[in-house]
Amino acid sequence: MTDYLELAKSVVAKAATGNLEVEVIITENQSTSIRVSEGEVEQLSQSGSGGMGVRVIDGGKMGYAHTSDLSEESIDQTWKAAVDLCKVVTPDDYRKLPDPEPVPDEDLGIWDESLKDVSVEDKIQLALAMEKATLDYDERIVLTNRATYGDSIGYTYLANSKGFADYYGRTTCFSFLVAIARDEDGGMVNAVDLGASNFFKDLDAIAIGEKAAKKALSLLGGEPVPTQKGTVVLDHFVGAQILAVLSQALSSSSWQRSRSFLKGRMGEEVGSSMVTLMDNGRLKGGMASAPFDGEGVPTKATRLIDEGVLQNLMYDSYSAAKDGVVSTGNAQRPGHQGLPTLGASNFYMQEGTKSPEEIIKGVDKGLYVLTVMQTGGVDPVTGECSMSANGLWIENGELKQSVGGVTIATTLNELLQNISDVGNDLRQMPIFGTIGVPTLRVDNVTIGGVDA
Amino acid sequence: MIGSDLAAKVLAEALKTGADLAEIYIEDVTSLRLGLDDSRIEQAIRGVDKGAGVRVFFGNLVTYAYTDRLTEEALLEAARAAAAAGKNSVTPKAIDLTERKSPLQFNIEKSFDLMSIEDKAKLLNDIDVKGRAYSPLIKQVAASYRERSRKVWIYNSDGVYAHDDRNFVEMSVSTIAERDGNLQSSFEGFGGQIGLELLDKNNPLQKIEEAAEAAVKMLDARPCPAGEMTVVLPNGWGGVLFHEACGHQMEADFITKGGSAYSGKVGEVVASPIISAVDDGTILGRRGSIRFDDEGTPSQRTVLIEKGVLKEYMWDLTEARRVGRDASTGNGRRQSFRHMPMPRMTNTFIDQGEHDPEEIIANTKKGIFIKSMSGGQADIAKGDFVFNGKEAYLIEDGKLTAPLKGATVAGNGPKVLMEIDMVGNDLALDPGIGMCGKGQSARVSVGQPTVRLPKVNVAGTSE
Repeated sequence: MTDYLELAKSVVAKAATGNLEVEVIITENQSTSIRVSEGEVEQLSQSGSGGMGVRVIDGGKMGYAHTSDLSEESIDQTWKAAVDLCKVVTPDDYRKLPDPEPVPDEDLGIWDESLKDVSVEDKIQLALAMEKATLDYDERIVLTNRATYGDSIGYTYLANSKGFADYYGRTTCFSFLVAIARDEDGGMVNAVDLGASNFFKDLDAIAIGEKAAKKALSLLGGEPVPTQKGTVVLDHFVGAQILAVLSQALSSSSWQRSRSFLKGRMGEEVGSSMVTLMDNGRLKGGMASAPFDGEGVPTKATRLIDEGVLQNLMYDSYSAAKDGVVSTGNAQRPGHQGLPTLGASNFYMQEGTKSPEEIIKGVDKGLYVLTVMQTGGVDPVTGECSMSANGLWIENGELKQSVGGVTIATTLNELLQNISDVGNDLRQMPIFGTIGVPTLRVDNVTIGGVDA
Repeated sequence: MIGSDLAAKVLAEALKTGADLAEIYIEDVTSLRLGLDDSRIEQAIRGVDKGAGVRVFFGNLVTYAYTDRLTEEALLEAARAAAAAGKNSVTPKAIDLTERKSPLQFNIEKSFDLMSIEDKAKLLNDIDVKGRAYSPLIKQVAASYRERSRKVWIYNSDGVYAHDDRNFVEMSVSTIAERDGNLQSSFEGFGGQIGLELLDKNNPLQKIEEAAEAAVKMLDARPCPAGEMTVVLPNGWGGVLFHEACGHQMEADFITKGGSAYSGKVGEVVASPIISAVDDGTILGRRGSIRFDDEGTPSQRTVLIEKGVLKEYMWDLTEARRVGRDASTGNGRRQSFRHMPMPRMTNTFIDQGEHDPEEIIANTKKGIFIKSMSGGQADIAKGDFVFNGKEAYLIEDGKLTAPLKGATVAGNGPKVLMEIDMVGNDLALDPGIGMCGKGQSARVSVGQPTVRLPKVNVAGTSE
């Protein structure tokens, strides 16, 4: 077996001539994907792949090249291409590789040693059990779609010319499916649920299946309500989509480029006292946890908004140099094919004390939002926030009829200020980045439906 | 790429455990991306991505294994891994691989290397200068240039051997305008399955001016009203509505399981009689165009809806085999060798109507016109859709008046298709940077003439 860390170091040594700064990443992945339908396996894929990416900085000019082919010839072409690309890039004094810092030796709970020994048969059984839990939940659940189990055993090796050389392994297991419900009139709805963990044993297939079924049933027969201003209670799936956009607005790079509605408001109260937002790259068992970030900086926990007050932003080494601060370890890496880019790691809202049931009990009249579609409707630049919504109507603290075909609209500014309850049910939602969110109550939102 | 003899050997290996069909997909992708932001060329990235996938069919079970090494040993290993689900032991029959030829001439006019990388970088710098010169209100400009060459080879045990070369150039420009803390962004992009002749057909310096103009104009935008209203959608990009809310429901994987509103409805009226819709992978230069799909099936023009009547779905081999259909419609596509194909759209559009676009606005007493959009999303089972107006205007007494921000239109695709009451005579496809996500990403085009939806729900913050 190839020692990839040694290979990465040898490419750094070859390419780092003169004043060139060089960084080499190698990724290696073994993945399994299983899809079942109507009690049978439909698709089974098991494979491995990986590749190398070379970043070269020549006097503040940065070039990048990557390849999936780890032959000597291809590797040489790749680092030479990266060196050559520097010539067209605008020099930038802040563009430097970070100086190596010691990486704390700490168990982050991201490695399932036993995953490699889990049989394909056991993984198939998990997917089948999840599908069965959905189909058996209620006779109105007529089928499932894309009932999938997947996992990966991945290694990341990183070395640079400043002397950094380290690697880590991370296992990931996930499962999801779409439940499709049909009522007597033939109306159909679907609902997705998912689970993910670094450990195979922590995936609860039955719970995922049942939650998807339950949600699909809630959405059946949804009708619009009259247009009004009111309270909404946001399910995890909904809150996660909004938080994913908020995370972009809390990136230092967005600020430096005038792409955040929060720009210039450091130290101000930007949200209600219920709002505490964290980014923590060392969260134990976090799906995005890693000992070091995409450029070798040790990951950290960063308090971004503390009880409503804007405290900090996320930084990588480049944006930190620009602002004269230190990196928060937020350089993310999309495998070997991409440059490190500034982004959230495990980004989450700190949970509150009330259960979701108690939150709903406290609402006189409003919408419990279970699903939204929002492509482009929540904007980190302008702070606009509008999306289409489905869910259940709340009246006098009780869940009533299904609501569909409505829209909800506010601004992210108002939304943060109007969060009046935060649930005690924080959930990691690894679909829109790695976002953790509890159930949220937001007041004073425009619910657009039929003419009142 | 690997030669027919080796391909036949790998296919034979994959059939040894009793499969009905085996397939090899080989891919070789090279790419370049230059990105400008904040007045600097910041991104310069070259990539090579190549590998192979072996797919094996056992009735309704499909197994897959891929490798990023194109050696005989690695291909045979992938074949054995994919075949491992089979329980029998058979001696496969001889496979005769004959190359399929496509009548489609997609050869590019100007190859990527006719312009130096320095000139490509200079173009981005010129865009930045031009955008900022438009107005002092323009606070940020970003631009990117991408080229990508994707060569694919497909071999299968039914004797199919097909090869396709796909070349893409795409550019995008965007701006942010700011006044008194109010930020507005705009975006323009263009591209295609095309060479550098793209830049002769579209002037990037003109596109950045258009983007800057739109962002500045939107600074005066007022909040969009909420509620049910008439919405006029533009030609070109407007077709994203059909793509998201109807097109996906006509992809065979949603059809065969009964999870689509269009399952079992061929021959039935599913749209207003003024609506015809087409998926056509054979159009020269468009982003979704292919000579062969990623299963080796020739691409074709498929009429989905003719004068309101549902005619056909979009098929790949897996779904066609599932229902015992002879052939796919050439819609089996995949993101890369790491993915199995699935039914995907190519260039999908609502066909030409008869109204002048001006006439459609003039006949609308009150409503909104969405001039450009920023993406869309749909729920497949139910057909609900939502998309956002990036640049939108109020229509009052048949005239475009105030610019509107935050316009989000939501409705139900199949329902809206029955209700569309005016279709323009200005059919256009989008500018060619569309990326469709369905678990895997695929380059597609959408299109339509100007269309009017008499009553849909619009989200906004103003009462």
